[in-house]
Amino acid sequence: MKTGIYLTLAGALLLTVSGCKTSVNSVENAQKTGQRQMVSDQRAVTDKKLYNRVSIVGVNSAMTPGGFLKVQIELLNNTRSPQQFSYHFEWFDANGMQITTLAPVEVPDQIQGGEDKFISSLAPTAECRDFRVKFIAN
Amino acid sequence: MKNKIVLPVLTAAVSLVGAGCATNAHYVQTGGNQSVVTIGQINIQDYMQAADAMTGELLASGALGRVANPPAVLAVSRIVNNTGQQIDIDLLTKKIRVALLQSGKAVTTTTMGLGGTAEDPMAQGLQQENDFKSDVKSTRTPDFTLSGKIIQLAVKAGNTSQSTYSFQLSLTDPKSGLAVWEGEKEITKQGTRSSVGF
Repeated sequence: MKTGIYLTLAGALLLTVSGCKTSVNSVENAQKTGQRQMVSDQRAVTDKKLYNRVSIVGVNSAMTPGGFLKVQIELLNNTRSPQQFSYHFEWFDANGMQITTLAPVEVPDQIQGGEDKFISSLAPTAECRDFRVKFIAN
Repeated sequence: MKNKIVLPVLTAAVSLVGAGCATNAHYVQTGGNQSVVTIGQINIQDYMQAADAMTGELLASGALGRVANPPAVLAVSRIVNNTGQQIDIDLLTKKIRVALLQSGKAVTTTTMGLGGTAEDPMAQGLQQENDFKSDVKSTRTPDFTLSGKIIQLAVKAGNTSQSTYSFQLSLTDPKSGLAVWEGEKEITKQGTRSSVGF
């Protein structure tokens, strides 16, 4: 009787654990045509748990034909379970003053276990020169 | 003796936890990760995300820069609400208009509207008066019109509800009648009940 209960509990636990795990396989062209303009970045980590789970692989930027700065960040989920977080971009002009446009948009996002993904944003004005991105665990 | 110590401590702990969870009225950042999330409604953070994403796409496309006299003049046309709720379209369009104006790439006319209804009737009257008095017509016709649709797709599986809101916009050149830019932002929310936070 007791063994039956233990087995049921173990099965339920196994199901719960396996249900949370995800993994992503990917394929891409080995010889890249496009060259990313990598940006040397400066990081401030206060949530080590989130940083260890979802790490920042690299940051690159480009200018659009209209003269707007576009920033792309590569993220990697170091765990085997999906991670939920939100992020928002802040933009600064040539004098280092923050450009306040509308209310800052916090974008909720999810990254699958082991997944490598990109997030990006476009500067709100052509005057933007610098940026900062904040990540918050959900 | 043990009960005399343990019981008050436990009671105090429980009341502290309870007080910690209680939510008295307080301010939160608009659209921030402490906002209330509902499945059956479009929340303020959804409008903000949709407007931000589509403004970014529109500016990146460079479509607004292809006009003879920049900045481009924009007129807001019909944006159809195909959701099951009553919504104010300005929650979406105003954010886009403000962002485009601040970008310096487009200005929106407030004296031209769908069916001749102006957003600013006084400005329209003054403009018409000026045009009547002067030989040179001051009215600048829009370079582009903005139209679109908001669609809701709701499904349910057991206790879990899911709603997808599709925000669709088209930027049309009225001279050619062709859509020179089109954008779509989909936001999907799933859960068994509403919650606070992302």
